[in-house]
Amino acid sequence: MSYSTLNRLTPYIFLVPALVIMAIALIYPLGYMVYGSFRSWDPSQALPDTDFVGLANYISLWNDPNFHESLMVTLKFAFSVVSIEMVIGVGLALLLDRNLRGMSLLRTLFILPMMIAPVVVGLMWRYMYHPSVGIFNRSLEGMGLGSVDWLGQHALLSVVIADIWQWTPFIFILSLAALQSLPRSALEAARIDGATGWQQIIHIKLPLMMPVLIVTCLLRLIDAFKVLEVILVMTEGGPGLSTEILALRISRTATEFRELGVAAAMSNYLLMLLLLLTIMMLAYNKVLEVRAARARRIAEEGL
Amino acid sequence: MADQEKKQHPAFYALLVLLIMMSVGPIALMFVNSFKLDVDIISGTSGLLFLPTIQNYETALCDVLPYELDHLDFCSLKFGGSFINSLIIALVSTVLTLIIGCMAAYALVRFRFMGRDTVSGTTLMVRMVPPAVLLVPVFGLWNNEFCLDKEGWLGGLIRDNFGGRGDVCLAGTHSGIILIYVAMNLPFVIWILQSFIVQVPRQLEEAARMDGAGPFQVFFKVVLPLIKPGLAAAAIFTFRIAWNEYLLASALSDRDTKTVPILIVNNMSEFNVEWGVIMATGVLLAIPPIIFTLFASRQIITGMTAGAVKG
Amino acid sequence: MLQKLKTLGLAVTVAACLGGQAMAGPYDEFAGTTLVVNFPAHPHYNAVMKILPEFTKETGIEVEVDQLPYLKMRERQTLELGQDEGDYDLIAYVVFSKADYVYADQLENLARYYMNPKLADPSYDADDLIDGYVYNIGFAGGNKGYLQGKTGSLFGIPYGSETSVLGYRKDIFEKHGLTVPETYEEMLDIACKIPELEPGMGGLSSRAASGHHASHAFLLHLAPLGGRVFDDAWNPIVNNEAGVQAANALKTIVECGPKGASSFGFGEALGSFLNGDTAMFLDTTVVAGQIDDPSKSKVVGKVGWAMHPMGTRRGSQTGGFGIGIPKNAEHKDAAFLLMQWLTSKKGDKLVALAGGNPSRFSTHEDAEVNAKFPHMKTFGEALQHADPDWRPIIPVWGKINADLGTTLSKVLTEDLDIQEALDGVAERTKAVMEDAGYYTWK
Repeated sequence: MSYSTLNRLTPYIFLVPALVIMAIALIYPLGYMVYGSFRSWDPSQALPDTDFVGLANYISLWNDPNFHESLMVTLKFAFSVVSIEMVIGVGLALLLDRNLRGMSLLRTLFILPMMIAPVVVGLMWRYMYHPSVGIFNRSLEGMGLGSVDWLGQHALLSVVIADIWQWTPFIFILSLAALQSLPRSALEAARIDGATGWQQIIHIKLPLMMPVLIVTCLLRLIDAFKVLEVILVMTEGGPGLSTEILALRISRTATEFRELGVAAAMSNYLLMLLLLLTIMMLAYNKVLEVRAARARRIAEEGL
Repeated sequence: MADQEKKQHPAFYALLVLLIMMSVGPIALMFVNSFKLDVDIISGTSGLLFLPTIQNYETALCDVLPYELDHLDFCSLKFGGSFINSLIIALVSTVLTLIIGCMAAYALVRFRFMGRDTVSGTTLMVRMVPPAVLLVPVFGLWNNEFCLDKEGWLGGLIRDNFGGRGDVCLAGTHSGIILIYVAMNLPFVIWILQSFIVQVPRQLEEAARMDGAGPFQVFFKVVLPLIKPGLAAAAIFTFRIAWNEYLLASALSDRDTKTVPILIVNNMSEFNVEWGVIMATGVLLAIPPIIFTLFASRQIITGMTAGAVKG
Repeated sequence: MLQKLKTLGLAVTVAACLGGQAMAGPYDEFAGTTLVVNFPAHPHYNAVMKILPEFTKETGIEVEVDQLPYLKMRERQTLELGQDEGDYDLIAYVVFSKADYVYADQLENLARYYMNPKLADPSYDADDLIDGYVYNIGFAGGNKGYLQGKTGSLFGIPYGSETSVLGYRKDIFEKHGLTVPETYEEMLDIACKIPELEPGMGGLSSRAASGHHASHAFLLHLAPLGGRVFDDAWNPIVNNEAGVQAANALKTIVECGPKGASSFGFGEALGSFLNGDTAMFLDTTVVAGQIDDPSKSKVVGKVGWAMHPMGTRRGSQTGGFGIGIPKNAEHKDAAFLLMQWLTSKKGDKLVALAGGNPSRFSTHEDAEVNAKFPHMKTFGEALQHADPDWRPIIPVWGKINADLGTTLSKVLTEDLDIQEALDGVAERTKAVMEDAGYYTWK
């Protein structure tokens, strides 16, 4: 091979490994899943030996009250978690956006919960929620307030709290970074005009942070649909189906009920839901950008 | 501004302390409990008044300790073995992802294959796919299709040298788990590295090329050293996922390739929740990520914000 | 590595053959083999782990154990048994997996091993194995397809047999002059009295967590109260009067139970009894060992045992595990030898002394075992009333079980009406059975 052909081929040589791996281990499996979702598939069978059942898996899921409940739990979990985390995270960022000496230490401690294995997070919280041994009930009883049936009657709430603990720092750190990259001139101008702290936040900081906040929100929302280990360790989806999010139900359908075809169809539903949410948020972001651009243009023309 | 801050001081610092306690408290609690006997944990001789013991760690690590333990009849928890599996899987998949990701990112930037938007889009799409969705197809493929016939030359070679029975499949091997982790992390790594490679001045590379360096040399000698911070951030994120992941590993591993998260979930056994030992395994699993966080928090934050804030 | 081991094993075998040609024992041929077995993480099998070195010493057969939580074990086995050549030589299986494995033709029929004079031990005394368990766990193909009967045959041996017994706190019962309940009414009555008599203490700790646990707790009451899941024509009758009564009993027990009872799995239920938070415990016999272990229990010596109370009949559960040989195993003969050794009179007694659950009548009456575990006699008696048909073991049971369990959990935590809930279960069960072809012969 001559030097120049090598030169010409370099980009391909550099790209090929990544493409091959993604094709084998991501694209092909996803296609395989779509194919499998139209079949009656038992874990002891290889896929080619299974029967084609058309849309039967999708239809039976569509009519399955357990699937509906699981879907509702997933949506409830994801949206409550994301909205609470957004409020707390952005709030803290606005509050702590100042030059403190210990700020980097603080941020380091804040990211610890995110770095630890979800399995470990689940086990810590399961211990803390323990009806008699856990720290919550012990403190409540110590204060004479009686105990709470955390993982029983308030399982979803308990799971939401654990997730808030783990992921609020993510939003905090992203919003803080966004805040610190805001144009100082705009804030300076506002202060000279005599805007109060609240006015600055509402009219200047939040609108300027908006694109970042939307992306943050989207990333967090996507991740909220992936949560599985924390809930698996804490409640295993119970009591009833009250914390059985879709990811958990997929894995149970595949392993416990041994219905791989149904699990594949459920995976597809979940993917479609996520795709829809992503597209909606990106479209919203686009609209905001266009509107901002138009406003800027009008302002310029006005001058 | 300055005097405003002074007025808030007491309440403000109280809030900070509270936040720190809230984020670190549960971890500290787990750490403390891992040094307690089960009887102490259950009966709630609360607070710090207890005799610390390393018995839980001994139980967890019974398969790698050089001495016999008196309190155990047999070694059921093979933490040492799983820890080594976790280490192999996490390290190899991190290194592979970085090498492959780096090359791809470089090609994408320098040879203008796809715009940054396409890569961002792909990254987002892949990030959207929950591991649970991959569970069914990966389970089916890795067990039934990605196999070598044991009669074939390579399959036969593997069977002769490593033992085992049946066709040689990806499931149950380290490589099977590594493959899926690499694939899952690649888009994110490419995307992060791309934003660093863009900043490498082109003149440097051209100067090197003038001196007669080939494309590979330019890449390894000039570009790589300049994007070290990006590599660190990408490495930590990949390692974290490979180290912590449970679901896919549990579907793909067999008795010899179990990772630590699987071991922990398996030992939340319903017959006998041994809190002390579980907390000890939890601490051991959490130590590597905690160390990374303490020493490389700047890179982690860079990695996290690179996406959203820079766009 | 494995290759090396094999070579080493071969060398040992050769040496053994050369050395002891004159007195070739039944195990000689297999000395040096390494068996890979799959056992659950379960108190009985923990006891088995303690006696396995004895087996290796006696026979020269090495055993490598893959211990998994029992629900996980089933996943793994589904995968392993489905391949052409599997890793496992011997598996312990949960009762309700019997249907799946036998139906998929994945377990060896044991007849040809017991017929083989080189393998079968003449002093094995199979009649000594407890009948109900052999029928429940070992047989398939007889009555209803999953029990003993003229068309049935043996696919496994019960190992780690459990039944349900009532454990009660002798000290608490004495203090308040309570008598040990004989019937369901008495038991429920006492269960709800305890929280009044002993503030902070729950009546009876039962599992109730969503899924398998809630379903198990319900079925535990269903059989003694005269109910069944199906009638003889496979029609679901779980929603009849006995079913409602059983669900009511479960609900009462959870309400009068310790705090947080509605989310208890087996571990939590047992934990609260071990911690002295409840006065009674109605579940499997497997817990006896832990109750007497001072490092785990605060109620050592305070617990008495009684039979599972009667409703309209005696009907304690039959549960636990069987051991069988997969069709795709590598060392089937050696696996049979291990299986036979473990379930022999000697092995059964050893495992009982190590804290396991014996599966033979003789072990329950053995003086040495009774001296170490005084409750063994009560357990032996309870075993005679064990009901092999307390839960159906059909391939679709997993699905029905999951539905029953989640629905009951809703009854316990969300105040769903019991009749309505069970009607729903019956309806969905009917559909599942219809799909599976149980009504073909109508």
